[in-house]
Amino acid sequence: MANYAEMQQIFDDIRSDFRYDHELNGCLNCGVCTATCPSAHFYDYSPREIVQLLWTENVEQIYDAMQEKIWACAQCMTCAARCPFKNSPGGLVAIMREVAIARGLQSAKDVLRPFGRVMLKLITTGNQLSPDMIQPDHFPDWGPNIQKVEGDLKVLRKAIPVKTLQTVDTAWEVSLKTSVEMYTIWEMTGVLKSLEMMDENLFDVIEDFIDEKKEDYEDWLEEQDED
Amino acid sequence: MQGDASDTVLVVGAGPAGLSAAASIAAAGFRPVVVEKEDVLGGAPILSGYAKLVPSGEWAKDAIGRMVARVEQDASTTVFKGTKVTGFEGEPGDFTATLSNGEHVKAGAAILATGFTHFDSINKPEWGFGTYEDVLTTTQMEQMVAGGKIFCPSDGRVPERVAILLCVGSRDRQIGREWCSKICCTVSTNLAMEIKELSPTTDVFIYYMDIRTFGLYEDKFYWKSQEEFKTKFVKARIAEVTTSGDGRLLVKGEDTLVKRPIVIPFDIVVHAIGMDPNEDNPEISKVFGVGLEKHGFIDRAEFYTSTCGTTRRGVFAAGSCYAPETIDDSISQGHAAAARAIAELHALARKKAG
Amino acid sequence: MNPTDNTPGNHNANGDGATKPGFHNTDGQGIAGHGSFFQETNLSREEAVKATDWVRKHVDRRTVDLGDRMDDIREHMWELEREGEIIVHRITDAHKPMTVRTLFGWEKKIPTNQLWHHKSCGQCGNIPGYPTSLLWTMNQLGMQPGRDYLDETDQTSCTAWNYHGSGIGNVESLAAVFLRNFHQAYISGKQHGFDAGHFFPLVHCGTSFGNYKEIRKYLIESAELREKVKKILGKLGRLVDGKLVIPEEIVHYSEWVHVMRNRIASELQKIDVSNIRVTAHVACHYYKMVHEDAVYDADVLGGNRTAIITSVAQALGAQVIDYSTWYDCCGFGFRHIISEREFTRSFTMDRKIRVAREEANADVMLANDTGCVTTMDKNQWIGKTHEQNFQVPIMADIQFAALACGADPFKIVQLQWHASPCEDLVEKMGISWSETKKRFQEYLKEVEQGNIEYLYNPELAYGGAQ
Repeated sequence: MANYAEMQQIFDDIRSDFRYDHELNGCLNCGVCTATCPSAHFYDYSPREIVQLLWTENVEQIYDAMQEKIWACAQCMTCAARCPFKNSPGGLVAIMREVAIARGLQSAKDVLRPFGRVMLKLITTGNQLSPDMIQPDHFPDWGPNIQKVEGDLKVLRKAIPVKTLQTVDTAWEVSLKTSVEMYTIWEMTGVLKSLEMMDENLFDVIEDFIDEKKEDYEDWLEEQDED
Repeated sequence: MQGDASDTVLVVGAGPAGLSAAASIAAAGFRPVVVEKEDVLGGAPILSGYAKLVPSGEWAKDAIGRMVARVEQDASTTVFKGTKVTGFEGEPGDFTATLSNGEHVKAGAAILATGFTHFDSINKPEWGFGTYEDVLTTTQMEQMVAGGKIFCPSDGRVPERVAILLCVGSRDRQIGREWCSKICCTVSTNLAMEIKELSPTTDVFIYYMDIRTFGLYEDKFYWKSQEEFKTKFVKARIAEVTTSGDGRLLVKGEDTLVKRPIVIPFDIVVHAIGMDPNEDNPEISKVFGVGLEKHGFIDRAEFYTSTCGTTRRGVFAAGSCYAPETIDDSISQGHAAAARAIAELHALARKKAG
Repeated sequence: MNPTDNTPGNHNANGDGATKPGFHNTDGQGIAGHGSFFQETNLSREEAVKATDWVRKHVDRRTVDLGDRMDDIREHMWELEREGEIIVHRITDAHKPMTVRTLFGWEKKIPTNQLWHHKSCGQCGNIPGYPTSLLWTMNQLGMQPGRDYLDETDQTSCTAWNYHGSGIGNVESLAAVFLRNFHQAYISGKQHGFDAGHFFPLVHCGTSFGNYKEIRKYLIESAELREKVKKILGKLGRLVDGKLVIPEEIVHYSEWVHVMRNRIASELQKIDVSNIRVTAHVACHYYKMVHEDAVYDADVLGGNRTAIITSVAQALGAQVIDYSTWYDCCGFGFRHIISEREFTRSFTMDRKIRVAREEANADVMLANDTGCVTTMDKNQWIGKTHEQNFQVPIMADIQFAALACGADPFKIVQLQWHASPCEDLVEKMGISWSETKKRFQEYLKEVEQGNIEYLYNPELAYGGAQ
């Protein structure tokens, strides 16, 4: 549990985001956001409550909401489309999540652990989901009919009549140069740093992978020069 | 050429404000020239067929009808119907208005009583108006009340449950309507009582953000609708209106006091529509050379010493052309604007006489 | 009947109750009111109809006067270009644009030719028939790969799935990815012998579409953000004359389908689908994020809901059935579909699949986004354990259109990757599932031998010759 000064600091981080004043204009307490919220149907979560906590600067309850509640939001942004004040509760949640990660909250680490596979794929390949991730053993609840034609995944992917899609470990074939450009973006925008804060082991794996790819790219560039 | 600038006041619009202004001008011995773009006098209460007025409970046709008769029967009043003002030149004490029928009117002052335009619910499509037959506006519901029978337009059945949604086209930045339309809360509580009275098996629910039955309307409408007519008030803004398989309407909201999302079936959903600036205001602003405030209503002059003024000297205004306004207050403002116009003419005459 | 207190506003009361201001007796009996004292407004039927005509009249929403109070970000984009801050990737006549209307009646140009396919990671990884159906349809319309469209390997995903799911990433990283991909789209024509700007990006994913529009808004509003990402794009060599490149419009593939629907139906359709009951699920990130930019058409759903999906289904002649949870999210939730699966499957079963089945008796639910198709398609089987044994075939609008135009359900529409009972729909359309499946399994043997059929010359993906 954080002390009051720390909680105040977290709130200050949230409201110093340049989007904050754009996403929060006040609140009429009409509840239209919660009415349309898929997560409110399922969780003890209410976008109106998030907006109220931020608007009334209730730093203790904001801190509390950041432990669990903000992770319930499905980010569909229906709330933002409906709010008569043009607030974006979903946008505010996105800011709060960024702050939870920047501050390395343990709750954020716990919540994101099962999501690691997607992050690994994304950061290293620029794709977020690949054919080899959607195997029946990964998603037993998707049932035995996850595919209607049995066969080797590689062959089934080759049977897609579009060259870029004939891949197994990425959604489409991403050129090496493209990947390396993306690593630069990750580095320059602090994404790798927040990843390190969140999950050191995952970060190590990703770092090794990126280094390898970069070397491949250097080699490829040299080959091009020689040609 | 009509009129004489020294004793004529041009009144634009013949709704509650314009009619009261014209009556005051005539009563003071001056000559009103009333220009109304529609073919009938009376303004929104007559044109849109309002039922009973708040707070008097009188039928619009009777109450506003008396105002119309008073003006039409006055010998010193000239009335142009189906006519617009297309040009307005000159200065205080010596204006010349050009009308769409080719006539010219000389007037010493003018009063804009050009009113408002009802919000068109089609601009809030997720609330089902235009999609479902059983989604109505307050104006349509008033017509139904006037017809003496409450029924679902889709199949004629008596509704078990009616929802009235407040703030349709008001207090909504999503569609650029940031203002409160002032009258809808009271009108809706009144409508809820009328529905219950005509159809005792029908329950009425009002969905609100805040209830603004100001002044004496609190107990006479808000409390009474609950105590005597069992109207239910739910603090929730509706997100969407859809229909279920059985043809009933479904409204989706959050009951903010119990803090849970709700989906509730209704037979009729009524939009309590707000008041937009008159859709002709850009034209009116250009013709009369008066400014509009940021929402598009007529801009007020400094109020305390220039009541009923606009941004142009000698041009006054009254009623809902300024902002959403009640009928009673529009009528009072009409008299006030008339007093300002008459005073201006007196002052100019005295100045001329030296 | 005697006057009582029980009328609204005490209209009929004696004594104290009758002291209301402005109260007048009008019926000669000291009574005015409703119920048994009902009094006509004296409006004739014609007058009454006329009095409410203005509400019945379908006033085109596109006349809503929002004045200066609703900002069109695109106007500021042109200002920035005039000030020399950015380059706007224009939609020219060569892109054969068609103009549509958006929520507030603003115009939006949809290019129909010379398109750069901005692929979706979820579609390509999981529902490959989604992009293949789109490319196949373009081919059928006579579009020439390498000239009229381009699909290449120099593209990353928008990374917004991860951002919305995990909060890892930030506006800067999202903006840099946006500008990188769209810069590539801008210059991609060069390696094929065209000028810069030849290919205009067509975004396949709803979340990419919504995210890019939000990011474009931030980029245009914030000089500080532009300054930050300019450094990154500079390092990547992705500035043009030292400036950022921003496209004139962000265009979703389903908008292309919308404007091409009549050509698809009149030139390509082979199968009558008038017996097919279609329900539509439009992605939240299509019409709720930066919602002023979504397409509305007065002739589709009365202009009351976005025209996307419904318009193409109707053009093909299918029956579009309304259902009560039309506006609801699918339950995807980004992180939820991976690690809060109970939420995702409960929500999608309860608020989408069950309703489409019970209320609409739908033959198919059409969607226009990656996550929605995945969520609704994959989570039906588990419903049985929740006592929700409901099934509805799920696919994208363009997959349905391709089927109606005679595309092979396996080779082109790639329905073998779907978990929902798409075979039922295919059979109802008069196509034999088992026979086409048999043919496909034979084709797989050919594939193993390296005899692969392509929609375009594979070399194009690597910048190769046409």
